[in-house]
Amino acid sequence: MNKISAGDVLPELTVTLRREDLVRYAGASGDFNPIHWSDRMAAALGLPGVIAHGMLTMASAVRVVTDWLDDPADLVEYGVRFTKPVVVPDDDAGAEVVFSATAAKVADGLAEFDITALFAGEKVLGRARAVVRVP
Amino acid sequence: MTIDATMVGRSYAAAESYQVGREKIREFADAIGDGNPAYRGADAVAPPTFAFMLGSLALEQLLNDPELGLRLDRIVHGAQKFTYSRPIKAGDDIAATATITTVRKAGDVEVIMYETALSTVDGEPIATSTSTISHNRADS
Repeated sequence: MNKISAGDVLPELTVTLRREDLVRYAGASGDFNPIHWSDRMAAALGLPGVIAHGMLTMASAVRVVTDWLDDPADLVEYGVRFTKPVVVPDDDAGAEVVFSATAAKVADGLAEFDITALFAGEKVLGRARAVVRVP
Repeated sequence: MTIDATMVGRSYAAAESYQVGREKIREFADAIGDGNPAYRGADAVAPPTFAFMLGSLALEQLLNDPELGLRLDRIVHGAQKFTYSRPIKAGDDIAATATITTVRKAGDVEVIMYETALSTVDGEPIATSTSTISHNRADS
């Protein structure tokens, strides 16, 4: 972990979510809502397709910050708004989400990062912010 | 019955505490595609969003309150925030209690905020989870 200053940008992370990843997350998390694996149920609710669990997108987004930390236990606060769904087609390509983070503020032993999550050129998370302890 | 602002303050404790196992942490880390070594081995800590799974045991009780009249298939998760006292780790025995903090109505849609306190069964604070959900009562 290098010394951080306001305005610094952390290395970008690209995550590809395929249908199999949603099934795996459903099993591990216990969230079996069919909109995350059934085209039929997603369509019945008027969704453009099967969508990723918001909590899976949230879990992926914070990796930009925890990958940079020496110890992920230094994360003290993390929040997001789910603003757009990530539609995951039933094919080999899946859905590519690109995550990045910029240090918004560094003071009093804490660094605040603004996280951006882009899917098909649009932001899928709003007000995504992580606060970590820094030396 | 339907939920309204008079129900702010109601609390729901998970039916049972949650025993955190290192293999469950590994399974969860694999499922989110996170290879961080901190989430593996005898001293494993859980990835940050693992806390949501524990909180959902308290949410289950909230959804079961017939006076609120909520249905899981009408709920959309709008926002989520965690504040951490310390990471969850293998061996923890964790109790979860969800408290309704805000209820706002806009037509058929109810926007509900609830806060879930996670602590060890001995009372050591672990994390607080704040969730915003929208419940759509249209056609119900």
